[in-house]
Amino acid sequence: MSELLDNKEEAVKAVVAFLTKKSKNKTKFYLKDFYKVFPDDKPRQIKKVVNKMVETGELEFWSSGSTTMYGLKGVGIQHSSEGEE
Amino acid sequence: MAFISTGYNPEKPMENRITDIGPKDYNDFYPPVIKKNKGKWSHHEILEPGVLVHVADSGDELYTVRVGGARLMSTTHINEICEIADKHCDGHVRFTTRNNIEFMVDSKDKLEPLKNDLASRKFDGGSFKFPIGGTGAGITNIVHTQGWIHCHTPATDGSGTVKAAMDVLFNDFQDQRLPAQLRVSMACCLNMCGAVHCSDIAILGYHRKPPMIDHEYLDKVCEIPLAVSACPTAAIKPSKQKLADGTEVKSIAIKNERCMYCGNCYTMCPSLPLADTEGDGIVLMAGGKVSNRISDPKFSKVVVGFIPNEMPRWTTMTDAISRMVNAYANGANKYERLGDWADRIGWEKFFEVCELEFTHHLIDDFRQQAYMSWRQSTQFKF
Amino acid sequence: MAKHETPLLDQLESGPWPSFVSDLKQQAEVRAKNEEGVEFQIPVDCVDDLLGILELSYKHGRTHWKHGGIVGVFGYGGGVIGRYCDQPEMFPGVEHFHTMRVNQPAGKYYTTEYLRQLTALWDLRGSGITNMHGATGDIILLGTTTPQLEEVFWTLTHDMNQDLGGSGSNLRTPADCLGTSRCEYACYDTNALVTFLTQEYQDELHRPAFPYKFKFKLDGCSNCCVASIARSDMSFIGTWKDDIRIDQDAVNKYVENADGYPANAGAFRGSKDWGPFDLEKEVLGLCPTRCMKFENKKLFIDNANCTRCMHCINVMPRALKIGKETGLSILVGAKAPILDGAQMGSLLVPFIEVNPDNDYEAITEVIENVWDWWMEEGKNRERLGELIMRQGFQKLLSVTGIKAAPQHVQYPRTNPYIFWKEDEVEGGWERDVDEYRKHHLR
Repeated sequence: MSELLDNKEEAVKAVVAFLTKKSKNKTKFYLKDFYKVFPDDKPRQIKKVVNKMVETGELEFWSSGSTTMYGLKGVGIQHSSEGEE
Repeated sequence: MAFISTGYNPEKPMENRITDIGPKDYNDFYPPVIKKNKGKWSHHEILEPGVLVHVADSGDELYTVRVGGARLMSTTHINEICEIADKHCDGHVRFTTRNNIEFMVDSKDKLEPLKNDLASRKFDGGSFKFPIGGTGAGITNIVHTQGWIHCHTPATDGSGTVKAAMDVLFNDFQDQRLPAQLRVSMACCLNMCGAVHCSDIAILGYHRKPPMIDHEYLDKVCEIPLAVSACPTAAIKPSKQKLADGTEVKSIAIKNERCMYCGNCYTMCPSLPLADTEGDGIVLMAGGKVSNRISDPKFSKVVVGFIPNEMPRWTTMTDAISRMVNAYANGANKYERLGDWADRIGWEKFFEVCELEFTHHLIDDFRQQAYMSWRQSTQFKF
Repeated sequence: MAKHETPLLDQLESGPWPSFVSDLKQQAEVRAKNEEGVEFQIPVDCVDDLLGILELSYKHGRTHWKHGGIVGVFGYGGGVIGRYCDQPEMFPGVEHFHTMRVNQPAGKYYTTEYLRQLTALWDLRGSGITNMHGATGDIILLGTTTPQLEEVFWTLTHDMNQDLGGSGSNLRTPADCLGTSRCEYACYDTNALVTFLTQEYQDELHRPAFPYKFKFKLDGCSNCCVASIARSDMSFIGTWKDDIRIDQDAVNKYVENADGYPANAGAFRGSKDWGPFDLEKEVLGLCPTRCMKFENKKLFIDNANCTRCMHCINVMPRALKIGKETGLSILVGAKAPILDGAQMGSLLVPFIEVNPDNDYEAITEVIENVWDWWMEEGKNRERLGELIMRQGFQKLLSVTGIKAAPQHVQYPRTNPYIFWKEDEVEGGWERDVDEYRKHHLR
């Protein structure tokens, strides 16, 4: 595992920075999009760390039913359009 | 109705949380005779349609009565299943992959009371609650998807088309007159969350119109890049649109001739509905199988390109299915599956004996595999 | 008295097949009467409204549901499908009506005690409408509101020792046939292996790990009752290596049409009379490899040429048994037609042992090699079968370390366009053109 991925705080920072930069256009991302944030790591390790960020509250899932996507918690217009907030 | 909490605290979701425990252990659910004889079954026999006996090396016998069920099932109905299982089967019951219910008893004398009980139960509307059948060279229950009861992209209903078809095929559910088993499956759109593409007969809901675009609301309720990337054929691109009142809004444009009507964009964006009364209907496919018996597994072929939705009984569809089943019953050899029969007599004869019209829509033009289905031979029948 | 008129649906109450409309109506009535005194946590009349909105779809020929992005309970990336109706004012009882997938037990055996716990939970916290079962295999609980999701999950995990199933880009709930538990054809214990794989890969099942969905299905033999070969990314089909076991006395009982020895275990007991059983025509003549003969009341099978299609065993289950050296074949890449066309599973491992004593390590090694490759190389929403098409079967063999064998193909390639790798060609590709020119003028 790379130092970046191994360091929880730095890993979160990198992911949040990546998502914030992109959030003007879209707010939901595939797991594969995070591979670019951690170019030196194996997908299996990246998935574990990113999924943990959902439990710790930085990220949340959004599902099309067939695919699951990631976004910053509470960001985007999908939720309100579904009448959940 | 006051909210009853289990103890879950939304502020601290991880508190006392239990996760990743998987399904229940199947060992806790086996009937005793199964537990005792697992891996040591000698043989089985279908005593009559819907009734099986399994004989173990130990000499133990297990009698099973298979009944059909609508896969859409209420807790009231499940509780009735439990009542029957408690009364006759020591509290054990199982479901099959094709939505049948199996009641098992460990001796022959328990069989008749169970069968009589099951056969006697009817819904108020008159249909059987637990029709016995679904074994051997007959037609078992139809596996299907949600349709209009719960899905957002269906082109037809699941439960309704299945009820209509099974009513018509009911004699073959309780008989074993066919040359081999005949599997009917139903999926309510081309995404096929129930894979029906290898069934003897497949009922498939199909859209024929690209989605509408609700320009005024699109940018307010969905993210345009998500809608764009949802399209498997890259038919959607971002586009500025002028509304009737002159205001310019951010929206999308669809290249209609590239659209394959999958509804993926509607999943991502509620401003792209595609359901349509005239556009939507049924495709029938035939001749697929998954078993490796005698011949290789094979895909179903499209035999009817489109049938309109005819609520509530879909009679054009059920008529076409009946014609196929009867032509197959009359023409196929013992053990021959529907697709093997059609291959043997030739598909040109299949359309003739099933009285189905062959149209240009049935010639494959989708990507490279299309060529494989054209005839590269002078051997054909007139 | 019904809340909504349903003249179209009412026409689906007649006929012999169990009517889902009658069942929904009885459920609506049971909820309205509430003789059990249930403190319903979602609208009492949700089933009335479900009937109402379905009737509207029958009238319009169009669905009235919208998708929602809710994925699951906290921390899970699957197990819940969000649903909202597009006529909430007419049908407030189903305004929010999400689905929960509950991981079914192997073989779909149940005790009534468990089912009653489940129905009590779903009556309290949901619509009381289910699918037994969904296409993937899960128990489907159809229709509840967002605040109830965590509560249902809590009761499932705390009181019933029961977890959710998969959805989204997760490992989907693995499904099996009943296997050795009640079937003499089964070549391995599907119930045990499906449970092992489900438990082993809980993280992949509950949290997104992949470019798209991934399905395991397990068939005990090549009759493929759960259709693994057509609908799972990785299909585990039981088989054997040694000889079909023959009971010659029983073979002759079939030949003599003796009582208790009906063809195909009685599958043809119906209204059509096929005449007496004819071994020559019905078994030997239909054997795909014609590897059998019957002489002097003895059946011979040339096992080296048998492809284990199950036909003879299906026809004469009392006389013929699967071999003793059993295991399974792994086929990969099956999927429904979307997008590039349907794919059947392609044979990757002809035979692999099924060994619970070492935690099925031979099988999990293949699984994890395939996953590592797909996670690395698979495009977003690309199924394994499509990746194999894109990068080639040879690539699959190389990432799994499996040696190419003629069993992998129906027939060898029909074009000679082999893309040789440099290290496969003696001397490599770097050549000295000057040396060449010494013998070949410009």
